Amino acid sequence: MIAVAIGILVGLLVLSLPVAAALMGLGLTLDILYSFLPLRRVLGDTAWGVSTDVVLFSIPLFVMLGEVMLRSGIAERMYDAMARWLGWLPGGLMHANIGTCTMFAAISGSSVATAATIGTVAVGQIRAQGYNERLFLGTIAAGGTLGILIPPSIPLIIYAALTDTSIPQLYLAGILPGLILALLFMLTVVLACVVRPGWGGRRPRVTWAERRAALPDLLPPFAIFVAVIGSIYAGLATPTESAALGVLAALALSWRLKALSLAMLRAVFEGTMRTTAMIMLILIAAYFLNFIIGSIGLGRMVTEAIAALGLTPMQTVIAIVLFYFVLGMFMETLSMMVATVPLVMPVVLSLGLDPVWFGVLMMLLLETALITPPVGFNLFVVQGVRERGPVKDVILGAAPFVGTLLVMIALLIAFPGIALTLPQALR
Amino acid sequence: MQRLIGLATAVSRAGAWFGGALVLLAAAIVALDVVLRAALSVTIGGSDELSGYALAIASAFAFALALLDRAHVRIDTLYAILPTRLAALLDVLAMAAMVALACFLALQGWRVFAQSWTLGARALTQLNTPLSVPQALWVAGLGWFALVACLLLLRAVMLLLKGDAAGVARLIGTRTAAEDLAEERAAQRVARGGGA
Repeated sequence: MIAVAIGILVGLLVLSLPVAAALMGLGLTLDILYSFLPLRRVLGDTAWGVSTDVVLFSIPLFVMLGEVMLRSGIAERMYDAMARWLGWLPGGLMHANIGTCTMFAAISGSSVATAATIGTVAVGQIRAQGYNERLFLGTIAAGGTLGILIPPSIPLIIYAALTDTSIPQLYLAGILPGLILALLFMLTVVLACVVRPGWGGRRPRVTWAERRAALPDLLPPFAIFVAVIGSIYAGLATPTESAALGVLAALALSWRLKALSLAMLRAVFEGTMRTTAMIMLILIAAYFLNFIIGSIGLGRMVTEAIAALGLTPMQTVIAIVLFYFVLGMFMETLSMMVATVPLVMPVVLSLGLDPVWFGVLMMLLLETALITPPVGFNLFVVQGVRERGPVKDVILGAAPFVGTLLVMIALLIAFPGIALTLPQALR
Repeated sequence: MQRLIGLATAVSRAGAWFGGALVLLAAAIVALDVVLRAALSVTIGGSDELSGYALAIASAFAFALALLDRAHVRIDTLYAILPTRLAALLDVLAMAAMVALACFLALQGWRVFAQSWTLGARALTQLNTPLSVPQALWVAGLGWFALVACLLLLRAVMLLLKGDAAGVARLIGTRTAAEDLAEERAAQRVARGGGA
C-alpha cells in the first residue's frame, strides 16, 4: 500500500499535474483501492470545513499585509537605511541585502516579492561598487528564504493547520532560529570577504548623523511586526485577529506614505486572491488526502515500516533531513511540505519528537530547498532580476549559504532549545 | 472562442477584486472586534464566523482567476526539459485533471449546499446564519471555476489539434520565474502610478 501510494503520487507529480489535482487524485485512488466505504463523499464537507476555518483566514490576511507593504515603497527606504547601518562590515552592501530580507521577512511571506524588490534595488550596485557578482546574488537568494522561518510565515501557518500545532507556539519557536540564521548568513559573508578581500566591494562611507536620519525608515516595519506578534502574546488577539490588525496598520502606513490609491488596492486584491486561491485549493486537496490516509490506516503502516528499520530517533531524524534535502532539489517547497507531512508526521510523533521543534526544522529544510539546484525558486527569481549572464552564477553564489543552512539544521538538532526555549518560557 | 476566454478573464478578475474587498471588509470587522473587546470589554460577536465565510467565498471565486493566470502550482522539473509538443500534451493532461477536480469539487459542494437548503440548516452560533446563504455563494464560485476550466480545456484541445503547441503553452503552460517576476514588477509599477 505504501509503495502504491508513493508511486501514484510521484507519477502524477512528474507528469506535471497541478499539485492540488495530484493530491486529490491520490486520495481518490486510495479510496477506491483500499476503503470499504466510499470516503470521497466527504469531500464537500471537508472543502467547506477547510474553506471556513478561521485559522486559515490568516493566510489571505498575511498575503495582503505583505502585498500592501510591498506596494507602499517602504522596501527601498528600508534597504537604504540598512545599507547605512550595516555597510561598514566586510562585505558592505551584501549585509544590507540580508538585513533588509530579514526585516521584510517579518512582515511578508512571499519570497518572490522580497527577492524581486530587493534585487531590483541592489543589483545595480554590483558593478558600480565592485562586488563579487556571484556572492552578491547569493546573499539575495539566501536572504529571501528567511521569510518562511521568521513569523508571520505563511508556510508555518499551513504546517500548523495540517498538523494541528499551535500557531503562537510555532511563531515563538521561529524567532530565535530566524535571527541566528540571519547572523550566520552575515557571518558567512564576513568570512568569505576576510579570506578574499577583493569580493567585498567598496563600502559606503556613512556618518552617524546619516545613520540616525535613516532610523525612521526602519521604524514602520518594526512597529507592524511588534503589533502583529505582540498582540498575540499580550493575550489581546488570536493569530488571525493579529493579522487583521496588521493589514489595517499597513494600509494606514501606505496612506501616510501617499502610496494608497485605487489602482494600488486593485493590484493588492488581485495578488492576494491569486496566491490565496492557489494555497486554498492545495489545502482542500491535502485535507481530503489526510483524511483518506488516516481512514485506511496508511499513516500507521508508514510508522510501523519505519519502526521495523530499527533506527534510533537520531538516525531517523537524520534520514528525514536527507530525504527532504534531496526532495527539495527537485520539488517546489509548499507542495513538498503539503504532500509529505501526512506521511511523515505520524513517524515524528511516534518518536516522541516535539511537533513545534519539527515545524522549525521543516521550515529550515524548505529554505534549503528554495536555493538548491536544479529546482530552487529563489535562484530563478534572482536570476530574473539580474537579466544577464548564466543562472550558474546564482547557483554557485548561493552554495555557501546552503552550507550555512545545513550548519543551522545541525545546530537545531543538537540544541533543540534554540527553537523551544521561547515557547516553553511563555507557555 | 478567444473572446469568450477574454470575457471569462474579465469576470474572474472582477471576482478576485470582489473577493479581496470581502477579505478586507472581514479584516476590518475582526479588527474592530479586537479593539472593542480590549477597550470596552464588549464583543460584536460572530466576526469569526463571518471571516470564515469570507475566506470560503473569496477563495472559491478566485480559483478561476488563478487558473487563467496559471498560478496553480505544477511541478515542472521534467516538463521543463521536454520538447514543446510533448509539453503541450502534458499541459492538456494537466488541464483535464483540473477539470475533473473542479467538477468533482463543484458537485460535492452542491451536495453540501442542497443538504443545508432542504434541512434549513443553521450555524450553531450566535448569528444563527442559515448555512445555505454563504454556501450558495461558495458553490456559485466553485461552479464558475468548473466552467472556466472546461472552457480552457476545450480551447487547449482545439489548439493542440491545430498543431499550435506554442499557443497551448501560452494558454495553460507552467509559469516560469521570469514571468512571475515581470508580473510582479508590472504590478508594482501600476501601484506607483505608471512608474513615476
